[in-house]
Amino acid sequence: MGMAKLWIIGTLTVIHIVGILIFTRGFLLTRTELPYYSNCSDVSQSPCSSPNPPQCWTGPAVDRLVIIVLDALRFDFVAPTTFFKESKPWMNRLPILQRLASINGSSSARIFKAIADPPTTSLQRLKGLTTGGLPTFVDVGNSFGAPAIVEDNLIHQLASNGKRVVVMGDDTWVQLFPHHFKKAYPYPSFNVKDLHTVDNGCIEHLLPSLYDEDWDVLIAHFLGVDHAGHILGVDSLPMIEKLEQYNGILEKVIDVLGSQSGQGGLHENTFLLVMGDHGQTINGDHGGGSAEEVETSIFAMGFKKSPSSIPSEFDSSSCEINLDQQKTCISTIQQLDFAVTVSALLGVPFPFGSIGRVSPELYALGAGTWNLESTNGDNSQNHSKEEEWMQNYCNVLCINSWQVKRYIDVYSASSVIGFSLDDLSLISDIYAQAEEIGSCSFKNSLLYNESSNLPLPALRRQIDAYFNFLLSVAELARSKWTEFNLQMMAVGLGIIFFSLLIHFLAIKRITNPYRISLFPSGDFEVSFRLIFAYSVVVIRACSFLSNSYILGEGKVAIFLLATTALFKLWYSVKRKMMLIEAIIFLLLITILRFTIEVGLSKQAMTSQFMSAHSSWMLEIALGHPIWIHIAEIIPISALMLLAYLLYMTMISSSSWGICKYAVLGTILCYILIAVHWASESSISSSVPMLQGIGKNSVPRIIYVMGLGQLLLLAFGQLFNKERALNSEKSLVIKTVAMLSACSSTVIILSGKQGPLIALASITGGYCIMRLENIERDPKDNTARALTFDPLSVTQWSLLATCLFFSTGHWCAFDGLRYGAAFIGFDEFVLVRQAFLLTIETFGFSYILPVFGLPFLVARQYLMGQTEKDGKLLSMQLSQIYLMYGFITATTVIATMICVAIHRRHLMVWGLFAPKFVFDVAGFVLTDVLICLAWLYYLGREDGKKRQ
Amino acid sequence: MQSKKANEDVSPDLKVRPSVSATSPESLWNERFLWGLGLIQASINDQISNRKKHRMSKASTWNSSQSMSITQAFLIHLICGLGLAVGICVAHNVYSINLISHPSHTLCLILAVETPIVILLYSCFRQNPDKCSYLKAVVRAILGLSVGALISALGAIALGAPVGIQYLLKTINWSLLISLFTCVPAASVFGSSWADWQRIFAHTKPNRSIEYMICIPAHTAIIGAWFGAWPMPLDWEKPWQEWPICVSYGAMVGYLVGIVASLGLAIVRGRKQHHKGD
Repeated sequence: MGMAKLWIIGTLTVIHIVGILIFTRGFLLTRTELPYYSNCSDVSQSPCSSPNPPQCWTGPAVDRLVIIVLDALRFDFVAPTTFFKESKPWMNRLPILQRLASINGSSSARIFKAIADPPTTSLQRLKGLTTGGLPTFVDVGNSFGAPAIVEDNLIHQLASNGKRVVVMGDDTWVQLFPHHFKKAYPYPSFNVKDLHTVDNGCIEHLLPSLYDEDWDVLIAHFLGVDHAGHILGVDSLPMIEKLEQYNGILEKVIDVLGSQSGQGGLHENTFLLVMGDHGQTINGDHGGGSAEEVETSIFAMGFKKSPSSIPSEFDSSSCEINLDQQKTCISTIQQLDFAVTVSALLGVPFPFGSIGRVSPELYALGAGTWNLESTNGDNSQNHSKEEEWMQNYCNVLCINSWQVKRYIDVYSASSVIGFSLDDLSLISDIYAQAEEIGSCSFKNSLLYNESSNLPLPALRRQIDAYFNFLLSVAELARSKWTEFNLQMMAVGLGIIFFSLLIHFLAIKRITNPYRISLFPSGDFEVSFRLIFAYSVVVIRACSFLSNSYILGEGKVAIFLLATTALFKLWYSVKRKMMLIEAIIFLLLITILRFTIEVGLSKQAMTSQFMSAHSSWMLEIALGHPIWIHIAEIIPISALMLLAYLLYMTMISSSSWGICKYAVLGTILCYILIAVHWASESSISSSVPMLQGIGKNSVPRIIYVMGLGQLLLLAFGQLFNKERALNSEKSLVIKTVAMLSACSSTVIILSGKQGPLIALASITGGYCIMRLENIERDPKDNTARALTFDPLSVTQWSLLATCLFFSTGHWCAFDGLRYGAAFIGFDEFVLVRQAFLLTIETFGFSYILPVFGLPFLVARQYLMGQTEKDGKLLSMQLSQIYLMYGFITATTVIATMICVAIHRRHLMVWGLFAPKFVFDVAGFVLTDVLICLAWLYYLGREDGKKRQ
Repeated sequence: MQSKKANEDVSPDLKVRPSVSATSPESLWNERFLWGLGLIQASINDQISNRKKHRMSKASTWNSSQSMSITQAFLIHLICGLGLAVGICVAHNVYSINLISHPSHTLCLILAVETPIVILLYSCFRQNPDKCSYLKAVVRAILGLSVGALISALGAIALGAPVGIQYLLKTINWSLLISLFTCVPAASVFGSSWADWQRIFAHTKPNRSIEYMICIPAHTAIIGAWFGAWPMPLDWEKPWQEWPICVSYGAMVGYLVGIVASLGLAIVRGRKQHHKGD
């Protein structure tokens, strides 16, 4: 019977894993970041003509660059009103840009509509702008916590090619590029309600810096518009004031730059970019993929006049007459193209992972692309300037295409989930076609040769071929990397739902032989309890639909756990029994609540979504030496108490058999841990002999002993034929042995809080066990008495969740305690350290609770009452494990639905996706642990039957 | 807000009464209040005389389901509900504060208005009125108020109410309010009779009208407060999400719902008994 049920559990586990894998394939945008960087020398590998004068990939077209980023700059803030159906109060507030961009103003300034890729948050957009790539999900693999960009990017290329970069404003830049700037004036971007600090800081440094010579690229990032939108929306007075303020600043900046742009001036060949990183909705929100959010603007202006306009077929602009009866043209550019275009203008290598194309309109604004020197030469007479520019641009595109092709090839070779072979061969075909034309692969020197006058149509064909290639790569990458596969997500969800149904039927089937209905009709009280238990699970599951509840998940769990505890207290008052246990349980919950708040305050310090509240608990002066001593002594005495408890349990009964050795080993481990901690602490200074024990040897001994104990128990289970699961006593002994074998490793990994948390979980478990079925009438001994109280299992799982949070974890990758992975080891080995980290993260919240579940079944033995027969016991045990799995599955399903709904949410990558990863990992772990526990506790049942 | 609504709901009933032209809202309120008290006093006198009659007719078992008419139940609830409304109105109109801007002050005001009403009213219906004087019932109600407040404060902290010096006053006021809704009526009616407490609050088996009137609003007030805590963690950044504003609102709404429910039940029960009587 045990085995017959084991296959149900096994099948469920497999179904869960399959469903989750399919869902994950559809949900996680799994682009891996490659650690490769482009170098100047790489260009020799390209089939393109190497540039004539010794230079990098492209000749520098501008000398200096000023980038002014206005956060959340909507397209209609910049473009003239005539481009829109109706005029709004926030339009036409940056007239300086419109005046310059109009044809009559200056031909070397232009307004672009820039299209961003969602998610449209500042951090993701800055990443996209500088790397020229599409967003990734997690940079877990590379960066532990810090958001610094590790992929090749524009700023890295600037810094490594000797360009001096100055940044001011939003401190996100400094977080993303901690070591790249020559000078940085960061201001905190945290406080959304503060409209002016960042902007005033920018203004303070921007204008003086324009007179300095010690930079090549200047970045000023203003946040006022973003913040004004967040708090008041677009249609508000502060927004208009902000825009008018910016207009004034931009006027001044352009004045300064213009005044110095004469021959030999400081800004003779300076290029100005005024741009937004993303748009915003009328309410000021951004993050999603709606047109208002993704459409932002770039205003570009070169201070050295470029001679003429580019051929009209590459000019995709649309022109309108603006209010001053002047013609203004607006082109469209993808933000993807920004990094590579700026790299080409400044003459630095293109970022390795960029998949953008050099935008013709923006590139043409750079005066240096026009080969002005050659206008003085004689041989240029035959070429029109236009033709020469096309020649130059064709070369740039050639390098561009080669770089993108190289990235796609390297990516497919090194990434687990690359492109499909069909897609790759299609891309290769298009690239080969483009290369075959080979019109611009003439050597530059030939350009000056009169005989090799390139026909214009050939050049155009060549450029079109490159465009075709680059656009199809971008399209393919977009579909692979930024679009969720909704079908796969739906299939995955469907599979998990199906498994939930099977789960439910399995619970029913197991109880069937005993004619116990899960939904007893007629008895109001029993069904009320059932409904209460289910509604607690459902409330918790539904709470995952909101980001606030996910952030405060620990609080929600405590709230629900305390509610169930109050419910139990209510019953214990009703039955006039076990009042003390109920009160102790409530007290324990109160204590756990405070530990969770400490964890939350830690999280708030690192999280970008939570505001840091100074917790009253942290205000207690911890510096006093007495506190230090107490903090050292308490864990050790708690550990001794645990060892004592274990010892008392062991000597209280005989017939322990092989389990006795496991428990003895654990007691030894506890003593070792105590010695280890004592030797690390300041107490040890008085006991010099303790210092001799190595820092790493004790943890290693404990790991080995834990493994040995587990093996011992497994072999004991395997070879001990006669001891079947026939009494609650043997079940209790097995459970204690198993828990003690696991506990020593978990405790040493958890650090000083370990023993205290272990004591808390023992107390909590004891209270839940005692209070189980308190609702039932004690005299009622009918079949209904045999069924198990789902409320207790719910409490057990809620307690496990609370323990997860009270041990200082939270569902984010910066919530992992990486230090724990190095207890006992100094060097990093991925598998070993990941294993330790998993045990530390899920130890108290998944491993111990799952193995401890049999206590709930064996309560009657523990309470000194009559024993049940073996069959009934195994039925209850299977029931309880299935219920536990069911509860976990319900919450995970809720998380999956939530990420599916919120896939375009602002916080999807920061909050929902990590939560999903943690939940799914915990879910699979629970399934596997349930299988193991099933084998361990129930496996022998089968052997008994066969004999 | 909800209480205001309740206030508007009830006031038309009162406006039927021919009143001296309302000069100012305050005086109107006071007048109404006094009028209500007078009515209830009359009915209490009625009841006492009834009981005397009963005793004279040697009805030895104290069957109080008949001792309390639907009108009395209605009046008690009406006055309790009005008291809540008056408290909020006074805070709003006289001191121009509300629960959101000055939570603890407003709660204090509501308590100051509502506490005497509840204690004085329910003490009239104390169990065994011969053995227990009116004053004793009032004293044990005040005792019940503080003990109940302590218990509800502890419960709230277990459920996650914020702790700290700046929350101390708010938590005290809130727990007094909850205690007023739940413990005070029971304390003044039952005193220290544990069996009755257990019957009402643990087994939820009220028998008499007054027990229904204690039991149902107490339970709904607690459930309301529990639901009221739900919006607290949300990131709407509304001022009413602060502790204990939405929880107080929840408790008050729950209390008012309980009042209506218990009135409805009283009417249904009254009809049933009427039929039985026939």
